[in-house]
Amino acid sequence: MWLNNVVAGLTPGATYAIVGVLLTLMSQLTRVVNFAQVAVGMFGGYISLTLVTKMHLPIFVGVTVGVLVAAILSALLGWIIATWLSEASTSARSAVTVAALLFLISLAFILFGYRNQPFPTIVAGPLFKLPGGAVVSKVTVVVIVLAIVITVGSWAFLKFTAFGVKLRAVSDRQMAAELLGLNVKMLNVSVWFVTGAIAGITVALVGPSASNDYVTLSSVVIPGAAAALVGAFRRMDLALIGGLAIGAIQGLFAGFPNLLIIRDWVPIIFIILFLLWNQRKEVWDVAR
Amino acid sequence: MSLKLNDVTVSRGVGPVISNVTLEVTPGEVTTLVGPNGAGKTSLLESLSGVIGISGGSIELDGVDISKMSRRRRSHAGLAHVQQGRMIFPSLTVKENLQLTARTKADMDGALALFPELEKRLDSTTVLLSGGEQQMVVLARAFASKPKYILLDEMSLGLAPVVFLRLIPVIEQIAKTGVGVLLVEQFAHLALKIASDALVITSGHVSYHGAADALLKDPELLKKAYLG
Amino acid sequence: MLRVRVASQEKWWLPLAIGGIAIVVGIIIAVVIPADSLFRPTTILVASISLMGLGVVTGTAGMIALCQLSFAAVGAWIVEWFSVNDIWGNIFGNFSFVVYMLIAGIGTAAIGVVVGLPALRLRGVNLAVITLGIAAAFDLTLQKTSFPALVAGEHVARPFGLGPDFGGDKGIFIFAVVVTVLVAIGITYLQYSRWGSSWKSVAFSERGTASAGTSVQFAKLTAFAVSAFVGGIAGGLFDSQITQANFSSFSPLQSLGMYVLSAVVGSHLIDMALLGGILFVVIPWILQLFKVPLEWSTVIFGVLGIQALTTGSNLGTDIRNGLRRRRGRALVPTEVGLASSDAIAAVEIPRGTGKVLLDIKGLTVEFGAVKALTNVTLAVEEGTILGLIGPNGAGKSTLIDALTGFLPAHGGTVTLNGVPLDKLAPNRIARGGLRRTYQQDRVPPTLSVGAYMRFVSRGQAKPSEIDEILAFFACPPVRTPLSLVDVGTRRLIEVAASIAAKPQVLLLDEPAAGLSHDEHVAFGDRLRQVPSRYGVTILLIEHDLDLVRSVSTSITVLNFGEVLASGSQESVLSNPEVLKAYMGETELL
Repeated sequence: MWLNNVVAGLTPGATYAIVGVLLTLMSQLTRVVNFAQVAVGMFGGYISLTLVTKMHLPIFVGVTVGVLVAAILSALLGWIIATWLSEASTSARSAVTVAALLFLISLAFILFGYRNQPFPTIVAGPLFKLPGGAVVSKVTVVVIVLAIVITVGSWAFLKFTAFGVKLRAVSDRQMAAELLGLNVKMLNVSVWFVTGAIAGITVALVGPSASNDYVTLSSVVIPGAAAALVGAFRRMDLALIGGLAIGAIQGLFAGFPNLLIIRDWVPIIFIILFLLWNQRKEVWDVAR
Repeated sequence: MSLKLNDVTVSRGVGPVISNVTLEVTPGEVTTLVGPNGAGKTSLLESLSGVIGISGGSIELDGVDISKMSRRRRSHAGLAHVQQGRMIFPSLTVKENLQLTARTKADMDGALALFPELEKRLDSTTVLLSGGEQQMVVLARAFASKPKYILLDEMSLGLAPVVFLRLIPVIEQIAKTGVGVLLVEQFAHLALKIASDALVITSGHVSYHGAADALLKDPELLKKAYLG
Repeated sequence: MLRVRVASQEKWWLPLAIGGIAIVVGIIIAVVIPADSLFRPTTILVASISLMGLGVVTGTAGMIALCQLSFAAVGAWIVEWFSVNDIWGNIFGNFSFVVYMLIAGIGTAAIGVVVGLPALRLRGVNLAVITLGIAAAFDLTLQKTSFPALVAGEHVARPFGLGPDFGGDKGIFIFAVVVTVLVAIGITYLQYSRWGSSWKSVAFSERGTASAGTSVQFAKLTAFAVSAFVGGIAGGLFDSQITQANFSSFSPLQSLGMYVLSAVVGSHLIDMALLGGILFVVIPWILQLFKVPLEWSTVIFGVLGIQALTTGSNLGTDIRNGLRRRRGRALVPTEVGLASSDAIAAVEIPRGTGKVLLDIKGLTVEFGAVKALTNVTLAVEEGTILGLIGPNGAGKSTLIDALTGFLPAHGGTVTLNGVPLDKLAPNRIARGGLRRTYQQDRVPPTLSVGAYMRFVSRGQAKPSEIDEILAFFACPPVRTPLSLVDVGTRRLIEVAASIAAKPQVLLLDEPAAGLSHDEHVAFGDRLRQVPSRYGVTILLIEHDLDLVRSVSTSITVLNFGEVLASGSQESVLSNPEVLKAYMGETELL
């Protein structure tokens, strides 16, 4: 019984993991905590919803357009930040994404109206049963696989391709990279584009099963950020594990109604303690 | 065809750190800037590559005014800046550092030929290298971009003299391939030995500009500039 | 309001006067405006108070906290709990609500301290995301437990027996005005106090704060405590208005919005916090008047936020700069005249008393495999100036870091007047009599000269002494904002402040770097007098050998982390090894 709950928690958990990995990537490569990470995907998702239901385009076309919209919106935000805030602190750059998050949510209300509509389903249904009776749905597996693919794929891309070397160089030392003639702005914007597209794909996959009002969906960035926090915004593998763990823990506690309040706090408290322990040696080194 | 500074002044904060510098770096020759610390030499180099802007005068690279160009464009125009402090990309390996600037295998081989001892460290992440090895990497990396002019900022900083001695003939080698070198150094004696042209900067002004070996032959002149 | 900023010492009564006027204006508004139009103005005040709280922790102390509305929720919750359970109702009667609000503020402050604990180790975006995670967890909890009034199906009793009707709304508005004025006055005075200076200092440089003798932990936690207290008060006030709260008014997304609004207006300034409150309420209201969907207001906030953040400025700064220009007070940096005179130049290089004050034995610092300092032994004699020279990278700044407690893992011992300093925290070392200045600019530009001097000297110097030291070093007067002072003069002020703290030994790290050559000479003339005039022994790191020669009783040369030579000027500067170290010759040539 409890296993069913844990397994049920793995879908949101894998979503948190994907968002956490994306946030970690962006933090490392573009020095930003992108609070609008899921919101761009949300917006793209609603574009595809409108195309499919109002203009009766096939699902495939609608989703593709939605993913493109998410990618372009993300790239636009990245371009603004890379142009006017290229030497600003991570905090200032991240604050702009907060403004963008609020902007996108409001724009969604204006363009798409107030009533919730179900997303077009891409993947649905059960896949297999675990011993003990817990049912694993297709969506769960697909999203977990997507999370792993993104983590490993990003790592491999950064490590083995020439483009990845350039991205890592910019992430290490932006000024030195510029002086070597690297096009830092283009490199940054391409990261924004790709992460935006991935966010669009993720929302298209989980949208149907998750709550789909603009605010709740965009707010998934918060547990995603908690997952990224497990890796201190530096390690994708820990963000992946962290996201899945948060989802699993939330699922586990769902079976104990009287412990629900603790369930809400376990992830963040655990993360705080973990981070403090991880950084225990650094007292003055990182302080200005 | 040269890198020309015409009456360049660089300001930081509320006042100039270095004023009215006029000099010319010719391909194949080494020009050196020496002088005590805090004299503005690093700021001058930074204004050439675009890290900071100039507040007076102009900079011409092969006849083209680059004073308002972006850092990227200046780099593509043929200007390489080896910054103070060994700016390796710490998480990248030696090979990856070089791959950023070396377009062909020939360029890569040419850069490694400067420092054969880097061959066995090709796959080490540069953060693990010693100071001297890191300095070799940044120098090789700059050379691999086939620049017309190289700016070298205090390569000896934090390096044992023995290590720095290894780098001096390499600078001469680089110059011999036709690159114009502008060398800023704290250790004047060694820099003057390989330079043809020398400027002494004290308190933000050029206090001497002439042939390097004239300065070498007159130790009193140099001592005055440093120790007063 | 503008003048309060600069003339704090003289017109101390100004915030009180303005507050009094504001209350009178508020009463007039309440009388004149019909009660059914007073709901929005009350909400403006509640929002302004929340923004003031953010202005303390984020705008002043520089720590991004994304849970301000969660603090308000806690405050509202505490007030409701006390009210629903009618605690001490018979004792306080009509004042019960006020008592509940105070308790709410204190309770929320305690929670604020707990929330602020991670800030002692985590900074920047890590800290921001943690506060956001806390806000999200708290939001979920609130959704489950809800608020006491809602659960009990009651409405909270308004303060002073005010009714829930429109007549009561007028009273609530006046009550809100009074609370807002009290909070604004409280924060204004706090900003001018030592706490306020410590917040501004910690935002700019933690190292600088510790070296000024102030505990960084204390500064950070008080910032969180005050902002949480104020947030709790806002929540309590909100509850007096609506009498029954629910979780949807305090969501994490709204906390995010509050943060952006705070950044856009610059809510560490009281008048700007008020403006923010007005924007928060008026913009949606105007849109409603024009039948535009409410969501456009958030779109507007979003765009404003992006614009403000990309230019790095905020409305408060822009407006103040604009007003200054109109009044003809251009932002010209003040010029300093460090000039020498024969009288000043006539003082000789100080001779010591013979007693060793700062005793350094075998100091060793290693960063992994890199040996930054090896077995450095040095004795600084009371009443002298010791010049520490050496090529770049020789380890001079590392030595100062080790002496002042920033490298606790060093080997060897450091003793000041017999007291070992090795295991002490930097702010304790500073208070124990060993002070330092920095090569990098660590003087917060958000303070005035006087506030900075008082902050660093920690009450050791009377106002007249502070004025005298500033005049001695030809620094601008106490009322000058540090933002108008150039970098070189800021370093002089740092030196002056450290001397005003009356330390036993002062370590100066390239204090004259931003000065012209003539000013170097004038500075040296004054430095020579410091041991006899102020009783402070000096260790000076400098590259300008003229300056070193003009002030040093003795000189020590550091090269590659080791002491190369130590002794009188004549012996050290004529030592051929020293010349070689500077000029780069080695035996191998």
